[in-house]
Amino acid sequence: MKSMTGRPIPLLALICVLTSLYANAATTTDSANTEQLQRGQYLATAGDCVACHTAPGGKPFAGGLPVPTPIGTIFATNITPSKTAGIGNYTEQQFSDALRRGIRADGKQLYPAMPYTAYAQISDDDVQALYAWFMHGVNPFDTAPTPTRLPFPFNIRLSMAAWNLLFLDSKPFTPDPGQSAEWNRGAYLVRGLAHCSTCHTPRNLLMAEQSSRELAGGDVGTWHAPNITSDADSGIGGWSESDLIAYMKLGHAIGRAQAAGPMAEVVDNSLQHLTATDLQAIATYLKTVPAQHDPADTRAVDTWGAAFDELDSLRGVALPSDPNQMTGAQLYDAYCASCHQDRGQGSFDGGLPSLFHNTATGRTNTNNLVMVILDGISWPADGSGVHMPGFAQTLTDQQVATLGSYLLKHYGNPAAVISADQVKTLRAGGAPSHLVLLARLALIVILLVLVAIIVMLMRRRRRKALPAGP
Amino acid sequence: MSEQLSADIVVIGSGIVGSLAARRLALQGASVLILEAGPRLNRGRVVAAFRNSPIKGNWMGAYPPSPWAPHPIYVPKDNGYLKQAGPYPYPAEYIRAVGGTTWHWAAMAWRLVPNDVRIKTLYGVGVDWPMTYEELDPWYQEAEELIGVAGAPDTGSPRSQPFPMEPVAEPWSMRRFCERLAPAYAVVANTVARNSRSYGGRPACVGNNSCQPICPVNAQYIGENAVAAAEAAGVRLIENAVVYRIEHDAQGRIAAVHYFDPDKGTHRVTGKTFILAANGIESPKLLLLSASDKYPNGLANGSDMVGRHLMDHPSSSITFYADEELWLGRGPQSPSSINTLRDGAFRSQHAPYRLDFTNISQVLSVTQDLIKEGVYGAEFDKQLRWRAAHQVSLKNVLEVLPDPDNRITLSSEKDAMGIPKPEAHYSIGDYTRRGADVSKADFTRIAELMGGTGLRYSADGQFANNQHITGTMSMGNDPKTSVVDGFGRTHDHENLFICSTGVMPTAATMNSTLTAIALALRTAEHILPKPADVHAAALNAEREASLS
Repeated sequence: MKSMTGRPIPLLALICVLTSLYANAATTTDSANTEQLQRGQYLATAGDCVACHTAPGGKPFAGGLPVPTPIGTIFATNITPSKTAGIGNYTEQQFSDALRRGIRADGKQLYPAMPYTAYAQISDDDVQALYAWFMHGVNPFDTAPTPTRLPFPFNIRLSMAAWNLLFLDSKPFTPDPGQSAEWNRGAYLVRGLAHCSTCHTPRNLLMAEQSSRELAGGDVGTWHAPNITSDADSGIGGWSESDLIAYMKLGHAIGRAQAAGPMAEVVDNSLQHLTATDLQAIATYLKTVPAQHDPADTRAVDTWGAAFDELDSLRGVALPSDPNQMTGAQLYDAYCASCHQDRGQGSFDGGLPSLFHNTATGRTNTNNLVMVILDGISWPADGSGVHMPGFAQTLTDQQVATLGSYLLKHYGNPAAVISADQVKTLRAGGAPSHLVLLARLALIVILLVLVAIIVMLMRRRRRKALPAGP
Repeated sequence: MSEQLSADIVVIGSGIVGSLAARRLALQGASVLILEAGPRLNRGRVVAAFRNSPIKGNWMGAYPPSPWAPHPIYVPKDNGYLKQAGPYPYPAEYIRAVGGTTWHWAAMAWRLVPNDVRIKTLYGVGVDWPMTYEELDPWYQEAEELIGVAGAPDTGSPRSQPFPMEPVAEPWSMRRFCERLAPAYAVVANTVARNSRSYGGRPACVGNNSCQPICPVNAQYIGENAVAAAEAAGVRLIENAVVYRIEHDAQGRIAAVHYFDPDKGTHRVTGKTFILAANGIESPKLLLLSASDKYPNGLANGSDMVGRHLMDHPSSSITFYADEELWLGRGPQSPSSINTLRDGAFRSQHAPYRLDFTNISQVLSVTQDLIKEGVYGAEFDKQLRWRAAHQVSLKNVLEVLPDPDNRITLSSEKDAMGIPKPEAHYSIGDYTRRGADVSKADFTRIAELMGGTGLRYSADGQFANNQHITGTMSMGNDPKTSVVDGFGRTHDHENLFICSTGVMPTAATMNSTLTAIALALRTAEHILPKPADVHAAALNAEREASLS
């Protein structure tokens, strides 16, 4: 891939300086410049760069966020234009290579925690605008984040070259002439900048996206990024485009689903800021993503359950002294009903969501339900704030399992289950990954095979060298 | 005793005031130990107990006292813990549990009005405070940012920084009061420690209308939150530790405190500095209990002022039917009030007051009235609906003046642990009664403006108690007439401080919690000053965190 644009920004800056003596010319150039910077900022928002490249409470884009991955913790880098700690010395070509090929300025490989496999789709024009904004629109901060130190063999960044050979498709997005401009814009955003597949597409054993199962659902740490293909049961096939737009704009689609965990961050940092045209384009495209059906979903995941209460089992009955003996109905009454109401119906305007007809209780993968109970939901949402308290400090593993099972049974998919062990695992940050061990074992196997081949070759040579028998 | 307990700072009492002082000191690097007489409570269980209780109006029902740390209970009958010596009853309610009495409160987080601290100078009544309102302002601000206060600007209490939050959304009934009483009366949103948006990791109010006995969603800041903040800052808390004696050394410095565990095993806790923060009744009780040969009247009591000047905010009220449907019961229980009568030249003659509108659902009280009246059948349904929609009520919150004869003493009766119970000696003076008389004209005028019918005034001379226990360990510059100095340090013991509503020398017309927190933060700063930049940085960090 080759950039067609050379180094426009220093050149532009130079032009700006030179022409500043001539008001008219300067105005034109300035406005072109301003427009490009604005576009770059918008694209960076669409790309949600800030999500990983800003630590909680840290300076914007100064990096430092620890990103837990199956091969160890990767620390996001400083991508401010700081010349010492950030990317201030990057040329546009180097910037483009990092973004779209996963190669940083010193020629070393990035880990694919950076979604360059998706960003590879970004157009040259957009890379140029992004570069302009990161160089001139972002404040430089000279703080160097903790360097990433992964265990062997992943500490050898060259190992990623082999991975890229297998899994990186570095061709930029090519529009499908058979589809509308709107669809193509949506596809460009979904596959590229918005990098939806990074979370929503399942990954193979080597942590690469399974392209044949685009957006069929994947796991992000302890959270599950659900199926968002056009399948009517497992995905968003039953959603209208306006449902999808509402979800992206507001973080919830009433009577269907609401964003929590990492998705709430995506809405907060990125999606809600996109133009109506772009949100429409994304919705248009998502509705055409080939359906991926999960046979476990016997009906649409947002159609389970109904209003229900077990108040009769509560009134006049003393609470058990052992909290783990509390029934689902007792737990619901104590911890949930104050917002979600006595029958799980939520508030009249949907501001406090109903627990039935809600993907939170309709999926067979119940990790998100557990995570929401443990961590709650909290994001600013147009100033008023979306806030569900987390109960990690309040409820035991058994209580979460009892409560969650009660919710699934009455308001959700009764075939789904939550166990105390599952809660315990998720509370601890998820199941440990064996990828490092696997990689090391694989290396030993390869080594043994190599040794075997060498030994075999040597023996053959020795045999050849032996004199023929008499 | 297996463990020698000791800390730089030992705090007696884990209420909102003591816990926030403890937190601040722990953040300053001190080792801090809180001793709490009562047990830990669990919000979900309190919610479940309230929902399960057949007596919905009994706000103490969800907080049964523990045998080793009893507190007063009046429903279904007086448990006889707070003895009443008369002539007027002082039926204070408070909670001895981890987090203290703010487990149930209306989250009223009022500041004083500036003249409240100078009523002796300005109006020739009561006493002046040993500080100005301006000196309190930054401490109020710090307190408000800690507990998340939402409020309207025009309540008579000036401020140099904005409120942390916009006011909580106005319920329909309050909007109608606001519209119909203007311009005669300005009805404004109350200043409350209740979230109008996500703040401090807690959600916005969703209008359960059960602020008392419990905010079920943690939108209202309570002592439990303060305890959690203190523990997060490194404070250690021992629950079920009933302190029964404060021990001094030969020089009069406090050396240790002694507590009973629930099995009446004894424990001694040493420390460098001690903070008494066990509310305005239990704290003076403990000082009086700790009498010794050197201090025969009890600790910090060289002035004989410990337990005296007991105050509250008595209330009289009016109930009537408005001429339109207002449906009280949606939104917080106490959303709005009239604040223009809290100060004025009239204070030389009679008590000032705040006028407070209730927003508690009327269904329960109306039902009780109808049953009493013998209404039943279809008429009952009809009447219930009409009255619940139209019935409203407002009360005054009257200032009482400090009177040395109003006091807490030790009763001759003892509790289950063998500790003397507190005894209240109380009367309501003419100054306050005159204020009540004057406010009656406001009641009538407001009822008229609302097209009111069926006006029912509370009986003359009858006042409701508001649980704002003040005055019993008053602060002042003169050791002869006060218990602590302007920084909460007892005049008699260099290393004993008091953080409590009890240090307030006058009661003014506002709920006392926020002022006590502000004073306690000021005391904490006095004990262990923060470097200026650290202070600013910490405040900024809190501000930023609260926005997330």
